[in-house]
Amino acid sequence: MKMKKQLASSLAVAFSAALLWSCNQSDPAPKGDYVSGVFVSNEGNFQQNNGAVSFFPRERTTADLDIFAAANGTDLKGGVQDYTASEKQGIILVDNSAAGQDRVQFVERYTFRDEGTIGAPDIENPREVAIAGSKAYVSCWGTNADQKYSTGYIAVIDLTTKKVTKKINVANGPENLVYNNGKLYVGTTQWGAGNSLAIINTTSDEATSPISTPGIANPVGIDANGKLWVSAGDKVLRINTESNATEATMTIATGGTKAVGNFAFSNDLKSIFFVLSWFDDAFKEHGATYKFSISDTQIAVGTPLIPRHFSGLAVDPSQGLLYGAVSPSYTQAGYAVRYRTDGSVVDSIKVGVIPSGFFFQ
Amino acid sequence: MPLFTDGKAQDAKDEPGDLPEHLIGPFSEEKRKIDANHCDLKVFTDRRFVGYWVLWASFALTLPGYAQNDSIALETVVVRGFVPEKFMSGLKIQAIDSASLTQLRFQNISDVLSAFTPIAFRNYGPGQLSTASFRGTSANHTAVLWNGLNINAPTLGQTDFSTIPVAGFDQLSIQYGSAASIVGSDAVGGSILLGSKAPDKPLSVTAGAQRASFNNYQVQETFRYFTHLNEKWEFSGKTAVYNGKMNNDYRKPLRRGYLLLPTETAQKGIVQDLFFRAKNDREISAHIWLTDNNLVLIPDDEMGREMTRTTAYRTMLRYQAGSLAMRTAWVRDIIDYAKGDLSRPDHSVTDKFASRIEKDFMLNLGDNVNPVSIKAGGEWTHYRSRVPGYAQSPVSENRTDLFLLTRWQPTARIITSVNLRQGLVTGYNPPFTPSVGLEYGLVQKIRYDLKIKGSAGRSYRVPTLNERYWKDLGNPGIRPETGWNKEIGLEQAFRRAIGGSLRTSATFYHNRIKDWTYWNPSSGFRVENLQQVLARGIELQLNYQRQIGFWHTGLDAGYAFNKSSQEKAYDNYSQDVVGKQLVFVPEHTANVNMFFQYKLTRFTTQFQAASKRYSTSDNIQFLDGYGLVTLIGETTFRFDEFRMHLQAQIRNVTDTFYLNVRNNAMPGRSFALSLTFSYDSQ
Repeated sequence: MKMKKQLASSLAVAFSAALLWSCNQSDPAPKGDYVSGVFVSNEGNFQQNNGAVSFFPRERTTADLDIFAAANGTDLKGGVQDYTASEKQGIILVDNSAAGQDRVQFVERYTFRDEGTIGAPDIENPREVAIAGSKAYVSCWGTNADQKYSTGYIAVIDLTTKKVTKKINVANGPENLVYNNGKLYVGTTQWGAGNSLAIINTTSDEATSPISTPGIANPVGIDANGKLWVSAGDKVLRINTESNATEATMTIATGGTKAVGNFAFSNDLKSIFFVLSWFDDAFKEHGATYKFSISDTQIAVGTPLIPRHFSGLAVDPSQGLLYGAVSPSYTQAGYAVRYRTDGSVVDSIKVGVIPSGFFFQ
Repeated sequence: MPLFTDGKAQDAKDEPGDLPEHLIGPFSEEKRKIDANHCDLKVFTDRRFVGYWVLWASFALTLPGYAQNDSIALETVVVRGFVPEKFMSGLKIQAIDSASLTQLRFQNISDVLSAFTPIAFRNYGPGQLSTASFRGTSANHTAVLWNGLNINAPTLGQTDFSTIPVAGFDQLSIQYGSAASIVGSDAVGGSILLGSKAPDKPLSVTAGAQRASFNNYQVQETFRYFTHLNEKWEFSGKTAVYNGKMNNDYRKPLRRGYLLLPTETAQKGIVQDLFFRAKNDREISAHIWLTDNNLVLIPDDEMGREMTRTTAYRTMLRYQAGSLAMRTAWVRDIIDYAKGDLSRPDHSVTDKFASRIEKDFMLNLGDNVNPVSIKAGGEWTHYRSRVPGYAQSPVSENRTDLFLLTRWQPTARIITSVNLRQGLVTGYNPPFTPSVGLEYGLVQKIRYDLKIKGSAGRSYRVPTLNERYWKDLGNPGIRPETGWNKEIGLEQAFRRAIGGSLRTSATFYHNRIKDWTYWNPSSGFRVENLQQVLARGIELQLNYQRQIGFWHTGLDAGYAFNKSSQEKAYDNYSQDVVGKQLVFVPEHTANVNMFFQYKLTRFTTQFQAASKRYSTSDNIQFLDGYGLVTLIGETTFRFDEFRMHLQAQIRNVTDTFYLNVRNNAMPGRSFALSLTFSYDSQ
């Protein structure tokens, strides 16, 4: 369902590198309460508009549940759909239950102080954010008043002026984003009817020919060999980023009733984690987390890596631990559960309501 | 193997959260779906229904006069009433006086209840959904009776108090605690009793209008009439119409960065009561209340606006001859919900046909002993509902209730009631529901009374039609909730204290409710009998009245502590919830009403306060507590039979900032001015 964690982790690698580089330039070390640690996006309960970004340093087992409120004395007033950061700015996607109230919230990256917003009509139902150079790309459903998820757009934000410079139309409810080498790969929501992966040239900010997929497409990320991985229904595709040709197709055995989602790359970019979940006859949700190698020729779902499902999954680039988000209900705190890559549990940390994404810094 | 066969695609990520409320809300249709075609399990949450859980109430308004506090006044209640309050001995009943209702005639009932009772409202914003938490229970646990008939929407099992204007009824009483043996289902936390009153003056006419801040206005006209038809029969009646519009044109869109959600609420209605009374204790009465409430969220956004229209046709025919009373009623509840294009809303209609027959007896126990008053009767109700989200349409359900109520006053000091009820419902039956109440006069002097009273009784709540019949997520096998309520209280009355009369009361209650239903997120939001809740607390009330010459002063004050918590773990993570205060139920509430009146001019100060309200069930988030002050100044000019009443209100005088359930701001200081003309033939 969501692959933003993978995106976040790949971005985090880039930012960690950038940070390291800037340290080498003997810039002053960043100051603030949120310099190094894990940021968790919590969607909250939709009608209560009570989403938050939680934060914890890696060595701690308790989180600050709402760091935007702590830094600014007021909460975000909406659900949090995604969080990422550019060199200096944190970017929070805020989704309010009322039409016209969604926004992109900028914060100072290390202190989380409010640095302005972009709201409607530029931003309507934001889903994910990716950064490429000095621009941020935000997938938006638009107003979607007919509930058909037939339209949508990518808002291009100039991070210097904090203004939307362009809206690039993407049909079928754009959702997950992966940026690589001048191209932004755009998946679509499972509620739409899209069977293709949109591609945007980030130099010209124009859509180029999409890649047809055997199901609703969402980009997973770029592997160690530079190949793009895409999930499409119960299929996983390996795609050549030069030719856009599908080089391999593997099927995940869903038995017709299970849902595939929450893909995440390992730190060496050679393995992919994902969650398979389903409801039993009593409507109880079950699920498990699996792992396969990019060199596998088929995906085994016999023995799971972790015998439980998550509402978010990501790998910390600095420690390599796997973070699973657990959402017991819409009216209580969720947890970030940490695992070693062999599936053994480390600990768990109470975070906000409906945690779904991680950002590592 | 699709478990669900229908449902609109919707995003789990976007509005999954509120499903429980949405389903409790009339139309919500969020659902999870297994989509076999895509070999994919999907979360289906129909956004068109999502905003559903949205209705209204005006919070910024407030209150007046004074209220009679208790059951001492009760004993003078005319037995002819629609609700057998006579048999509620041991229970706490608070009657709101007519002066207070008149003072707030342009407002909604939630304003009156907030001012005079500790009932906490879960409010979504001005003119929007407002549901009650009575003694720490949920919105489903307050019975609202109109002339004795439960008017909670059968689909939802609750009332949106923003749709009940004060103009719709003549009398208001609040009965605290469970009274299921007398009232039936839903009377778990308490009951709100609305009544029509037969006029006794030849002709009185009232016409008035109120204009308030934010371009909000209300108008209403009332005609009351009375005449002797012949030597035996007299006729009286009331015809009232009301109409109002809250445009909520806030000057600034934000308060402290929090949105004042743009909404419009239009409310209109007609009330018609007809009474034919004969001298030989016969009475025929007919009652009609048509009411319509239309809420639009974000009306200027043609794509994103949401409409919720709540319409109710309530009709009743009643016949009484001596000790025999019969009643038949038809109520139609209509809810229309639309988003974006408002011309083709989802339309749900529920009809309720209810008949009741009851007879009073006296059981003689001997020459030297007072007889026992007995009321025996039965109620039969048929529901027929067409709701787009139901698995089948229409659905119908029959409910029968048999009851036996007794009251006995063996000595001047003791009053006792034993009440029994058995409900019978299509498919399953709620438990046998007994209760016992006792009042004992510890001190009975000319100027001072002290009374101890207590009651214990079982309560139940028949599952709502949504809980039983909602497609996939409803649970036809769900059990009725059951509870045991125990309470004990002291009441004292000083007939001459500080120059006036003073009444105080203290009540402690303990109410455990089992099989509390829960739309369980970890079971795809299917409704289950998962929870067990214990609500306990204490209520303190004080009422003081003094009238000397042209001066009349009054004080009404209340404080309540309520601890209402989940007792039972039902999954691994519910440990975080056990023992925590229920969401949006403040632990502390307080209300004060104070007035000074000289001749026909009155100044009233109202204060209501609530401590913080947790917004998550594990209490990690909360909305801050707040206190609101309203000032009301009013005066009446008399010209023979004509009167002109002028009233000014300053609401939220201190411009207090507080948030509603949506995490949106509530309005700051605002004003209202009303002018009412009346003619009274006497």
